[in-house]
Amino acid sequence: MKPTQEIGGDQLVKAAFARIDAVALGAALGVLLAALLWLATVYLLIKGAPPGQHIGPHLGLLSNYLPGYSVTWPGSLFGFFHGAWIGFVVGAFLAAAWNLPHHIWLMLIVRRHRGWQTL
Amino acid sequence: MADPVKAEPLAALREAQHTMLHRAIRFNLVALALTMGAMTGFILWFATLVLLLRGGSAVGLHLNLLGVFLPGYAVTWPGAWIGLLWGFVAGAASGALLYWTYSRPLRHGFANQVIEGTSNDDLRAPVMRLSGHALGASLGALGALQLILATNWLVVRGTASQSPTAALLGQYLPGYTVTPLGSIVGALQVFVWAYVASLVVAALYNGIARLRAHA
Repeated sequence: MKPTQEIGGDQLVKAAFARIDAVALGAALGVLLAALLWLATVYLLIKGAPPGQHIGPHLGLLSNYLPGYSVTWPGSLFGFFHGAWIGFVVGAFLAAAWNLPHHIWLMLIVRRHRGWQTL
Repeated sequence: MADPVKAEPLAALREAQHTMLHRAIRFNLVALALTMGAMTGFILWFATLVLLLRGGSAVGLHLNLLGVFLPGYAVTWPGAWIGLLWGFVAGAASGALLYWTYSRPLRHGFANQVIEGTSNDDLRAPVMRLSGHALGASLGALGALQLILATNWLVVRGTASQSPTAALLGQYLPGYTVTPLGSIVGALQVFVWAYVASLVVAALYNGIARLRAHA
């Protein structure tokens, strides 16, 4: 890649309007959220709770939203699974919502630029 | 000595590029703010709705606590819409701050922040390369700032001692308490965790995007 100073206006603008790879961002956030939820659950399980008390009663409230999740060893796997798909959806949505207006604006700029060149 | 006839158009070109870059950065900032605002608002609205539809004797006992930070919010039908608004405002402010801090160190090398070989078409922009360090610094600073503001809001309200739910963060952030000093200790850890998480996300994203670009 050439340094910024040597790059033409078109290329610099295209770089500033770069799109996000939806699959890549979804996968990256999916892995992160899955790992975070699994680690948060496992950490509480390893720490344990005083006798007669439940482990992680507050984190366990996530079961309101994530079917099958609980602060137990099998529940941590459900948490991993839910974290993965939620992270993927959030990442893909972020990318799509970023790319659409950028694509439209870049198209307008390039078309206007070509219009000037043909004058 | 530089030829003034050649130097003048070159300076004009650089000036035009500079202007275009600033406009693009402003556009990116608004785009991320609106996207994060819409997403945060929807998540809060949806989370409230799920609890309302599930029903029960004490609906949303814990989610209701957000009303401390978001005036008017409650796990009720009107509260869900107020939550949508607040979520949008908070998400948009966070998105704008995030992009502003993320783009600052990259402004002199913006053209390098793309995955190589992903722009062969005039109407298709190249794929963005994430800078793990810039993302870590901006996301870490944002998370740390939010923790400091939220904690000290509880202190200023005088309800710090009645905030056992907030104090639960101390399970994951050793030394964190609902006090000004505790908020600083917690914020430092949030910064480090967010920084590390950003490095992981950026490495994964760049790796997968590069693989897909050359597939």
